[in-house]
Parts: sequence; C-alpha cells; structure tokens
Amino acid sequence: MSTLLTVSDLSKTFPGQVALDRFDIEISTASTHALVGQNGSGKSTFIKILAGYHQPDPGATARLAERPLTLGDGRAASAAGVRFVHQDLGLVESLNTIENISMGVGYTTKWGRINWSSDTERAHAALDALGFTDIDVSTPVGALAPAQKTAIAIARALHGWEEGAHLLVLDEPTASLPEADVQRLFAAIRRLKERGVAILYVSHHLDEVFEIADAVSVLRDGQRVATVATQTVDHEGLIELMIGHRLERRAHMSQTGIEGEGGLRVRGLVGGTVAGVDLDVLPGEIVGIAGINGSGREMMAPLITGQVPSDEGSVVVASVAIPNYSPRAAIRAGMAFVPIDRARLGLIPLASVRTNTTVSDLRRHWRGGRLRHREEAEEVTELVDRIRIKTSSTETPVAALSGGNQQKVLFARSLRLAPEVLVLDDPTTGIDVAAKEEILRLIEQAAADGGAVMVASTDTDELVQLAHRVVVMVDGMVVEEISGDAMTAENIQRAQFQSVKADAP
Amino acid sequence: MTAIPSDDRIDPETETAVRSFFRRFGLNRFSGLYVLALFFLFFGLTESNYLTWNGSIEFVLTQKVIVCMLALAFLVPLTTETFDLSIGANMALSLVIVNKMALVTELPEGLIALIGLGACLVIGGLNGFIVVKLRVNSFIATLGMSQVIAAVIRRIHDGGQITRAFGDSYVKFGKKDVFSFTWPGSGSEISLPYYFFYALIVTVITWYVLEHTPVGRHMFATGGNREAARLSGVNTDRLTWGSLVASAGIAGFAGTIYSWKFAAFSSSVGPPLLFPAVAAVFFGASQLKGRPNVWGTIIAVYTLAFGIKGIGLRYPREIDWMQPLFEGLTLIIAVGIASRQGIIKVMRRKASSGPTADPPPDIE
Repeated sequence: MSTLLTVSDLSKTFPGQVALDRFDIEISTASTHALVGQNGSGKSTFIKILAGYHQPDPGATARLAERPLTLGDGRAASAAGVRFVHQDLGLVESLNTIENISMGVGYTTKWGRINWSSDTERAHAALDALGFTDIDVSTPVGALAPAQKTAIAIARALHGWEEGAHLLVLDEPTASLPEADVQRLFAAIRRLKERGVAILYVSHHLDEVFEIADAVSVLRDGQRVATVATQTVDHEGLIELMIGHRLERRAHMSQTGIEGEGGLRVRGLVGGTVAGVDLDVLPGEIVGIAGINGSGREMMAPLITGQVPSDEGSVVVASVAIPNYSPRAAIRAGMAFVPIDRARLGLIPLASVRTNTTVSDLRRHWRGGRLRHREEAEEVTELVDRIRIKTSSTETPVAALSGGNQQKVLFARSLRLAPEVLVLDDPTTGIDVAAKEEILRLIEQAAADGGAVMVASTDTDELVQLAHRVVVMVDGMVVEEISGDAMTAENIQRAQFQSVKADAP
Repeated sequence: MTAIPSDDRIDPETETAVRSFFRRFGLNRFSGLYVLALFFLFFGLTESNYLTWNGSIEFVLTQKVIVCMLALAFLVPLTTETFDLSIGANMALSLVIVNKMALVTELPEGLIALIGLGACLVIGGLNGFIVVKLRVNSFIATLGMSQVIAAVIRRIHDGGQITRAFGDSYVKFGKKDVFSFTWPGSGSEISLPYYFFYALIVTVITWYVLEHTPVGRHMFATGGNREAARLSGVNTDRLTWGSLVASAGIAGFAGTIYSWKFAAFSSSVGPPLLFPAVAAVFFGASQLKGRPNVWGTIIAVYTLAFGIKGIGLRYPREIDWMQPLFEGLTLIIAVGIASRQGIIKVMRRKASSGPTADPPPDIE
C-alpha cells in the first residue's frame, strides 16, 4: 500500500466560523478510510472542498498519486481521479439505469444517434464489476431497491476509473439503506478495494466504520485529532476521540415540568424511521430529542406535528387527541411548530413579514366583517421589536431578510399563538451565532410561560444548554433518557452512537 | 448594494435615477393608467369620435364587462396558484343553457339563468375534485374539462345561433339603463345598463374577499407557498377547491351578462375570450401591487380595450390583425417588465447578501 492522497494545511474560514483548521490527512491506495466526527466538525466542508464546491483558504497543499492537486477545483479533482457519490445520489428516478449512467458520462453515439446497445453493455459491465448483476437496466431507477440505486450512482461515478480514478468518496452512503442492503454495498466496496481503489467513507454509523474501514480519521472542531487503524481502537475509544471534552450544561433552570393534564403526550408513534415511541412533555418543560440521522430523531417533529402521515400511534395536545396528518388540527389544539426547512416548509417568500407572521391566526384581527390591517401591523411591529427581527418594515417581503431573521419570523408566527406545545426541529441550523443565542432565549421563554417544548436537534451542545432532559433515539426507538447532572454532550453522544444490535439478545 | 460589477451594462447612477423617477411618478405601479392617459391624449386629438360617450366610451365600458368577469374568474384560483382554463367554456355553458331552455321550456327566465349558473358551479366542483382529490395539475385538469364542456354544449345545442329566445322583462332586468342624463352642451345621452353595476358588485365582492378577509389572505398564502401555508394551519385543499367553484360561478355569470347584452347564443362565444382574460390578469399583476389583484386586472382590461378602440378608429382596415398583435405584445411586454423588476430585486439581494444585510428598500 502506498500513499495516494496527501492533504496538508487545509483551512477554511466562513464568516464568524472556522470550519477547518490546518486539517491534514493521508489516504492509502487500495484501502477504505473512514472519516468520522460530530455535526459541524468539518467533515462535509472537507468533502465539499475536494469536490470543488468550496474554495480553501490560501496555503493548503494536496498531492494525489505523486502529482499536485488543486483544491477547490472540481474539474481538476475529477480529471485526477477523485470521484464522489453524495448522500443525495443525483439519479433521475423516472429514467432507467442505462440513461442515468449515460447521462452522467455521455451517451455513445453512432451516426449521430444514440447507440443503445453499447450503452446497455456499458451499464451491465459497470454494475457487474460491483457485483450487482441483478439490476434490470431498463427499469426506471425509481422502482429499484435503495442499494441498487447506490450501486448505480457508484458505477456512474467510477466510469473511466481504469484511466486513473483512484479515490472514491462515499458520503453517508448507508443513511437510507436497510441492513441487508448495507451488506451488498459493503461487498461492492470490498471488490473496489481489491481493484486498487481508495475509498473515503464518511459515516455516522460507527458499527459500519468498524466493519468496512481499514483506518479511521476523527475530526473535531475543524481539526483532525487522530488517525488510527480500526483494529487498534474500540467503539468507546472512537467516541472519546470524537467528543473530546466539551462545554457542560449551563446552570440555568432547575425547574422541571408541571404534572397535569396539559402538555404533549405521544403514544406508540410509528412512521418512517420512527418505530414505536412514547413521549411526554409537561408544561414548562423542554425535552430534547437526540439521535444521528436515520435514528428516527429526524422524523419525530414531522410526525408529531402532522407534516407527514404516521402509520400508528396517538398524539395528544393538552388533552385533545390530534387526527393523523393534520397540521391544522394540531394548531387548533394548541400546538405550534417551526419546521426544519425554513424556505420550503416555513416561509411564504414574497409575502410580507406581517403576512408571514399572522398567517396561522387572523381571527383576532377579523372584526365586523373586516380584516383590521392597521391593528395587525401594530401587533406585528410590536412582535418585531420584542423578538428583535431586523427588517426595514413589517411590509418587507420575508425573502429579503437574512436567515436568522427569517427564522425569527417563524418563531414570531408560532409564539404569538401562545402555544401549549411547541415543537422545534433543528431550530438554529444555518443562522449566525448572535441570532442563535436570541432564539435559544425565545425557546426558554416559551417554556417559562408554561409551554411544553420539544426540541429535536443534531446539535448536542444546544440540547445540553436548553433541555431539562434529553431523549436519545437509536434505530427508531428511545434507548436512553438523560437528565440532571448526567446530561452532558459527552453522554448524549455516547448514547446516540451506541449499538442497539450489540445489546440485543 | 454598491457591489455592481463595472462590466454591468446598466450604469448604476443612471439606473438609480431612472428608478427613483419611476417611483416618484408611480410608473412602476400605475403604468397601465399612464398608458391609458397616453391613448386618451393621442387618439383623443387625432380621432374626433374617440373621447365622446357615444363614440367609444360607452361601447368600451359595456363591451368589456364580460372580459372583466372572465378575468376575475381566472384571477380567483390564480391566487392559490391554480389555473382555470375552463372559464371560457363555462361562460358558453351558462349561455347555451339560458338560451336553449328559454327557447324550449316555459320556465321563468330568471330561474333558467340560475340553472345555468348552477351548472357552472357543478363544473367548478368537478374541477376542484380533479385538482384537489385526484391531484391532477390544474392546467391539465381544466384544459381537459373545457373540452368536456364543449361536448356538453354541443349535446345541448347542435351548432348555429339561438336568437330571440328571451322575453322583454328578462332582457330589461339586465340591460335597462340605470342612470341616464343628457350631458349639458353636447346633448349626448349618458347611461349605463344594469349589468354594468351587477358586474361592479361582483368585482367589489371579489376585491373585498381577496384583500380584506382571512380567506383571501389564506388564498394568497396558498399561492405563495402551498406547503408552508398548509403547515401554518391553512386549509389549502378547501381553498383551492372553493376558488375553482367561485371561478366557475363568475365565468357563468359572464355568460348571464352576455345573454342580457346580446340576447343570443352562438357556438363561437366563450373560449376565444380566454386569452384576453388571462392577459388582463397577468398585465394587471404588474399594476398597483406586485401580485395579481382585482383593480389592477380591471385597469388592464380597460387600458387594452381603449387602446384597441383607438387603433380601430385610426386604422379601421388594419384593426383585424392589429388587435391580436397588440394584445399579445402588451402581455409579453407587461410581464417582461414585471419579471425584470423581479430579476433586479434578486440581483440586488445577491449583491448585498450577508447575515446582517439590510433588505432592498424598494420592494413592495
């Protein structure tokens, strides 16, 4: 094994944040090198620089197969033989395998028309090489199994690898794969390794890392803290490396929930990645939901708020049972929520701050058969001042605001309902530090006012700061509840990376 | 906002000067009215008949009531980002039912008119079902429905005209002059028919519902971002459905007005009016507010109509081909200008992007 890729002195600074800090890494040929770290540790920034999506800060150097490699140049990377399969595979579901592969690498033509037989052969050959001989290449990709789709994306990425493609980057390839499919994918990865390809494998699933990787590099706060051979480290040791020593729970509130009829009550919730969850959030309490992607954490808020239909289970808000898949009924019953995807699920972009704020409840300004616009504007002006939304006026389209201020508008929309239950899903993603602090204040205030607050978040520090207790999910189930002095980022991380399979009889 | 690259084709200084000029005189919001004034000025000076009541004003005001109604019928579902292309056919349906039933039955004509409207409401309900429950794209659903309606119309009446089907009282109910007086000096008689005021009532109600009730607010929210509106507790399905029923009802009423005005049915009435209605709504969206709205639509209808009337008076032999040219180009230019304003907004936002950037000052 020789060294294939060497990167050194790679830094990347975003406004107000250092994403990568003098990062370096060495990857050998014919090996699988895993990259692990918490959210925000710099993994994706590194991948994105390799892919040419971000530009590195000056001073970084990289060599691939003894030749200098320009970082931040996607075309150069591809020409030098670095290929990517991103989490979103980039396949067109309505087209078949042949078309998907040819679309990426170019159709073969004969007399100016597509040479389907040679394209078909090429598709077969590429998939056979991965051990996926069972794919019907003329079926639309949408009808195939998840592992088959991943294989197609890999086949496409590897096109022309014989001529020098030597590093394949797989970014969370198993995030949406069932266990059996994971094994097929691993078999394909092993075949590739035998053929001399180096694989950079990014994953949150430590079990998989131990199973497939030869070496693992750990990122923390933008730095590579260690690279170890997987045989020389165990599960606990790896988590230790990932977490380091982090800030502890801020001593702010000792108050817990008030027992009674109110609050949020979830029983036997099943849907998507959630496989049977009971949860109670009492009035005045903030309960955090932790878990890696795919653990069910990401589906909790959508299921509870009725954004997506659940398969089973009941949700009760302040003693009122909410029908499945009805955000409207949930809001009527006293629930408010801020969806995770601000632009797609939250904002009406061209409508004003005023309209966006009041859309959930206009009844209070509807008197005598008329919508009292001035009164509405006064209410929103007051909210804008109180929540400190930076906008030139209440009539500004919300699309013209910065991300943090847009998020505050969504909070204003929810908080003016004086909700009995507030459901939040990664409430501070993609917003600047100052706005983040202010939003955390708002959440605390909502609980202090008697709201039952549920916060699902990938940001462990945020959970430690906010929550009275944190519920940790693995494989769709609640595996641990952490509260009191035990509630540290370290414990939450440890719990969410634990392997349920190992515990099973 | 200052970071406009030097190779930009528009000089930033000039650009700002032009824009502030535009804003001061409301050219960005009232361009339709300015164009209308230009028509009045130009054709008023060159054509002696143009600015007289009997010459063109009465004709245009009453003639275009039907287009106004169809434009509103298109506007209402459009607020929820739903297209209703069956409005022209719906108008014809109501019209053929009124004429045919008046001809072959003894039922009172007022009741027959209501039956015609009812049929349109049923079509609207079907449109809603197809769009909301079957999840067929509204463009496709209503395009298909307009052909279904055409088939129904042909079953009801096998082509050709129906005339003189109505009694006097029915026609009078819609067509009688409401106020009439003699303009001092010129001696010309000024008057408007009842149906003009019925249409005005429908327009005011539509405006009121869209702009001054929660229902209207929720409709625009649905059109602005359907999923976000749904998650905010807006009943987007019911609003979409309801807007299609309302649209069909208003289109049917356009047919009723036609029956009062012309007291006749011909198989070529209805669908050809779809284009001017759609054009008026999109042209109207560039007026007053940066989105489709009732009064902007009405301004658009009459600006186009007075323009065409003027051209018709000045070039009587050319009007036949100039009318569609004029309508088509106006639509493209109006929407082009509106999108360009949108592009400028986006570019300014890009140039000024940053976590604490102030929003562009000129967005309405």
